[in-house]
Amino acid sequence: MTADTVEDLLRRLAPQVLGAVVRRYGHFDTAEDAVQEALLAAATQWPQDGIPDNPRAWLITVAARRLTDLLRSAQARRRREDTAASWTLPEQWLAPAADRSASGVLSDAVPDSDDTLILLFLCCHPALSPDLQIALTLRTVGGLRTAEIARVFLVPAATMAQRISRAKQRIRASGLPFRMPAEPERTRRLSAVLHVLYLIFTEGYASTSGPSLYRGELSAEAIRLVRIVHRLLPRDGEVTGLIALMLLTDARRPARTGPDGGLIPLAEQDRSHWNREYISEGVALITGALPRGATGPYQLQAAIAAIHDEAPTADATDWPQIVALYELLMQVSEGPMVALNHAVAVAMARGPQAGLDLLKKLETDHRIADHHRLHAVRGHLLEMAGDPAAARDSYLAAARRTNSLPERRYLTARAARLTS
Amino acid sequence: MPSRKKARMKYMILLCGSQQDYDAMSGRAADKPAWSAEDFAAMGAFMQSWNNDLVASGEFVDARGLAEPVHTRRVQLRNGVPVVTDGPYAETQEVLAGYTIVECDSFDRATEIAARLSTCPPGPSGAEGQYVDVRPILEGRDDLEA
Repeated sequence: MTADTVEDLLRRLAPQVLGAVVRRYGHFDTAEDAVQEALLAAATQWPQDGIPDNPRAWLITVAARRLTDLLRSAQARRRREDTAASWTLPEQWLAPAADRSASGVLSDAVPDSDDTLILLFLCCHPALSPDLQIALTLRTVGGLRTAEIARVFLVPAATMAQRISRAKQRIRASGLPFRMPAEPERTRRLSAVLHVLYLIFTEGYASTSGPSLYRGELSAEAIRLVRIVHRLLPRDGEVTGLIALMLLTDARRPARTGPDGGLIPLAEQDRSHWNREYISEGVALITGALPRGATGPYQLQAAIAAIHDEAPTADATDWPQIVALYELLMQVSEGPMVALNHAVAVAMARGPQAGLDLLKKLETDHRIADHHRLHAVRGHLLEMAGDPAAARDSYLAAARRTNSLPERRYLTARAARLTS
Repeated sequence: MPSRKKARMKYMILLCGSQQDYDAMSGRAADKPAWSAEDFAAMGAFMQSWNNDLVASGEFVDARGLAEPVHTRRVQLRNGVPVVTDGPYAETQEVLAGYTIVECDSFDRATEIAARLSTCPPGPSGAEGQYVDVRPILEGRDDLEA
């Protein structure tokens, strides 16, 4: 039995085991530690002794035993210190939820709702800041070890351990019951989950800081997690849209950087290096999802990505279609970044001046006025419009504002090309 | 003339133990000597045959064991607000560990069933002082007024 197979199995089982233990015994924070120890024990024993007949049951038994030990020492310590571990029941425990009958059965529960989904809802709870949500999701649902998460985020393991323990304490303090939230809360919370998964993906894809090593793993992990959500909620259009968006974006990864690690813009990428498998899966998913029900922001972004990915060359891109999709996107998702992308699409469809006119409005929006992308886009459009001196200034302004080394190198090179 | 069926009564046989007893039985030596695998197997075999006899005689209703006392939540009203305490028991405190419900002709018969437990292989600490409690189960007002 290879260590890799064991590792994959453990990561798949991790949320199921934690779900089972928390459902039975509570104590989300301590149970999470116990499950980590059980996973560690399995990771060392199984490659040598073989995988037990029922690996899930093995892990649950070991984790439950460990949880018992951890609780006992905690309870003994509290008795010595004469502090009872008491918590006041939150309001939501005292009154049945609106959609919960007296028997405690949810009347419109998600069919076959999996503990993994409940864990995702817990980890992405709005009481946690995004960095805590991400760290906790990667550990409890992704089954990554603290050291691995720390490595991916380029922080010391001790810092990440503190972050995770803070997140768990906050969840414990919130007194959230381990169950599926009721509607309409469930829909709101699902969009928080999707947002966290999207952040994990872009963190891996955009590499906002540091060397690009290992970052790809994070995108792959985000895709794996959103696939789990998709399996549990196959009819949710936005879940499908998010997988499609990730696949269609990640498909370009092999062509996105040159041999020197420098960034290559979409228009100049060698499209033969794009991941055809991801593109066809992404296109099939988004094509299936679009006609069904309300069209949310992830589906629209996936549709835009699909148009790019299906264009045989940059010149053959269907820009008017992209403009139309961005206009729909601006209606459902407010934000200057969408407006900026819309301006680019308009410039490509109707000429650089039309795009530059739209940028004027954004330059007074304080949320984006100082963002490197606004300046980079202006540089491109000015270059297209035949104003190299102004374009150069914009590229340099953008280079000063980015934290990403590859991006800064790209922008500086772009400016230098215009000087000569 | 009441039917024989109606005359039968239900009794709960309560088995008690402390966290320390759980430790000893699960093989963790702490304040009491740990049970060996043979000790545990002998106890298991005895309990199984005790149970099977009750099923065979038609007196068995239900039997359950409870998780270790450490997994206990106490919900208590304080200043009018329900407050939950995790693990309210001390390690040495005897608490309900499991029960068997029998349906039989009399309190004496239920006591006889319970007394058979005294021949259960006791584990390394010995049987001296161990106990079970037998309590009649009330089915409703009729039981009280009969």
